Amino acid sequence: MKKILFRYFYGFIESQQRFINRMAEQGWRLIRTGRFIYEFESCPPGAYQYCIDFVGQKSYAASNDYRNFLEEMGYRVMTKPINTNVSLGKIRFRPWGSGWGKISTTPGTFNKELLIVEKENDGQPFELHTTSEDKIAYYRMLRRVWATLSIACAAFAVFFAVKNEAPWRIIALGIIALIHLFPALQSHRTLMHLKWEGKVSE
Amino acid sequence: MKDVGALTEVSMLILLSLYEPRHGYAVMQFIEEKTNGRLRLGAGSLYGALNNLADKGWIISLSEADRRRKEYIISDSGKQVVLGEMVRLKELSAIAEEMTKGACL
Repeated sequence: MKKILFRYFYGFIESQQRFINRMAEQGWRLIRTGRFIYEFESCPPGAYQYCIDFVGQKSYAASNDYRNFLEEMGYRVMTKPINTNVSLGKIRFRPWGSGWGKISTTPGTFNKELLIVEKENDGQPFELHTTSEDKIAYYRMLRRVWATLSIACAAFAVFFAVKNEAPWRIIALGIIALIHLFPALQSHRTLMHLKWEGKVSE
Repeated sequence: MKDVGALTEVSMLILLSLYEPRHGYAVMQFIEEKTNGRLRLGAGSLYGALNNLADKGWIISLSEADRRRKEYIISDSGKQVVLGEMVRLKELSAIAEEMTKGACL
């Protein structure tokens, strides 16, 4: 039996991960994702566990290499877009990327910012980032991504205001800037907590 | 060789596991086995750690041709780092023994 659900999580990766894991607990295995679509098929309850990783900052080669590595580990890997890029035809610019990760193309890294990683449930918790060093690097990167987007939108809002553009544009951009600020702050909070913990033990 | 400071436990264990060639999954199993399940390394963290150690030249990636299963092995400079870390750990352990001598356990 199949089931299709419409959901939109935007930058809230952890909420999305909780949603997919809850479905798996109820006996629904994720088989495909689209922009707003999650397609499930029935499976024994709790047969699979999911973890979501953000790879939008990585270049095409780097994210492919990582994906291969995860598949070597015996995991199934799916991709999912987050829809936050500045696009120009088939090429997109991601100001928050590192190196060539700034440029995204189709086919390539475009619309594949998230990796949804599936593991057969072996009774152990499923986490991709476990060492504090790696967790700090991961949340620092996430904070940079969301903060860059928020600042870029806020800058455009100010620019439009100065140019006396229609108020709805300024308000819309301001709202988008605020929406991006939440995941940035969430990452920042996690990061501060990790750093505080890291002062005593690794 | 320059002082590299204290290694993290995970870095040290990865280096030790690579005295024999291993791929990612085998490294993960080695660490879990040797620590009796105390340390369970996430795949993302392992990937980052392997890349860092390779960038430093302490481990070398083998079988580049066979893209599906990348194996790694420790390099000579990696072995030097392990020896340095062993000295540091022994010193630390000696201090701990000296200070806790006589204290009831």
